[in-house]
Amino acid sequence: MKMKLVSLLGFAILLSGCAATEKPMYEYGEYSESFYALKRDAGEENAAKWKSSLETIITKSSEQSLRVPPGVYANLGFIHLKANDNNKAVEYFELEKKIYPEAEVFMNNLIKKANAQG
Amino acid sequence: MSVFKLLKPVLVTLFASTMLTACVAPTYVTKGSEFPGMYTEKPKSLLIMPPINLSTAADAKDYYSTTVEMPVAFHGYYTFPYELTAEVLKEQGIYDSELVYDIPLNKFQEYFGADAVLFTKIVKWDTSYAVVASNLTVSIEAEIKSTKTSEVLWSYTGTVVVDLSGNSGGGAGLVGLLANAIVTAINTAAADYTTYAKQANARFIYSVPVGPYHPQYLKDQEVKIIQQQQPKQETN
Repeated sequence: MKMKLVSLLGFAILLSGCAATEKPMYEYGEYSESFYALKRDAGEENAAKWKSSLETIITKSSEQSLRVPPGVYANLGFIHLKANDNNKAVEYFELEKKIYPEAEVFMNNLIKKANAQG
Repeated sequence: MSVFKLLKPVLVTLFASTMLTACVAPTYVTKGSEFPGMYTEKPKSLLIMPPINLSTAADAKDYYSTTVEMPVAFHGYYTFPYELTAEVLKEQGIYDSELVYDIPLNKFQEYFGADAVLFTKIVKWDTSYAVVASNLTVSIEAEIKSTKTSEVLWSYTGTVVVDLSGNSGGGAGLVGLLANAIVTAINTAAADYTTYAKQANARFIYSVPVGPYHPQYLKDQEVKIIQQQQPKQETN
């Protein structure tokens, strides 16, 4: 009887343990929605929403200690590059490269572009 | 919106039954036997190319392009930011992926550092009307090609067919007809196409061996998937 109870408890702990460790891989927030809106109408309002959705992803990811999803820093860098804010652009391209070594070649090309522009 | 909510269970059931009749006797294969190149080359990063649009919907290309990045990233790959890469490709004169489909892909390794390229083709993105019933079909073909060898490492097709009529049999009458027409109008709004495009994507992405950021990386060779028929036959 006691054995049964112990194993039952063990099982319950196991179950709750599983649930607790289940964490999403990325926090994408409103990425899909704001990207879609941008494609429908690339006006100022949607461009601003796109930018703020990217910034929110970064804040939310760090709150949950998740890796920022691929391309989010790079997208922000690109927004700053288009606004001629080259220092900020380079800063974001560097961050993308730092968490994703796969992005190194492309980010270096963009950094070159930003430096030439500045 | 509320009409859609009410009819959702009906739609789902219809959809499920369509699926069941569509694949009578699927043959199962493993990811490892079907796509060995993915396990030998081990691409870590995927460059998502602008979709090739074969459908009659001109705006499908833009809308569909927003649905690919996220599921591929969740599958464990580094995905290059589409909004940014599409712009760079445009600057290089590449407006249409068809232009680069048959050329050596090593340029994409040189400029982007991409291990592989993901081509997507929108085969169908439309609504077909019958007297009462109408179907929405989203059909996507996709291929991953190596930037080293330009060989196809993986390919798959995902099709989603949804019966929009909400007509479950019974005598519909005039009121029913009218209701059907309203539901159809609501459901064919552009936004809903992306919903079904996401379903089609989920179906084909499932068959891709997972990437390096996924816990099952290089451990999913034995995972069973449904063997594809020749994609070419499904286009019409």
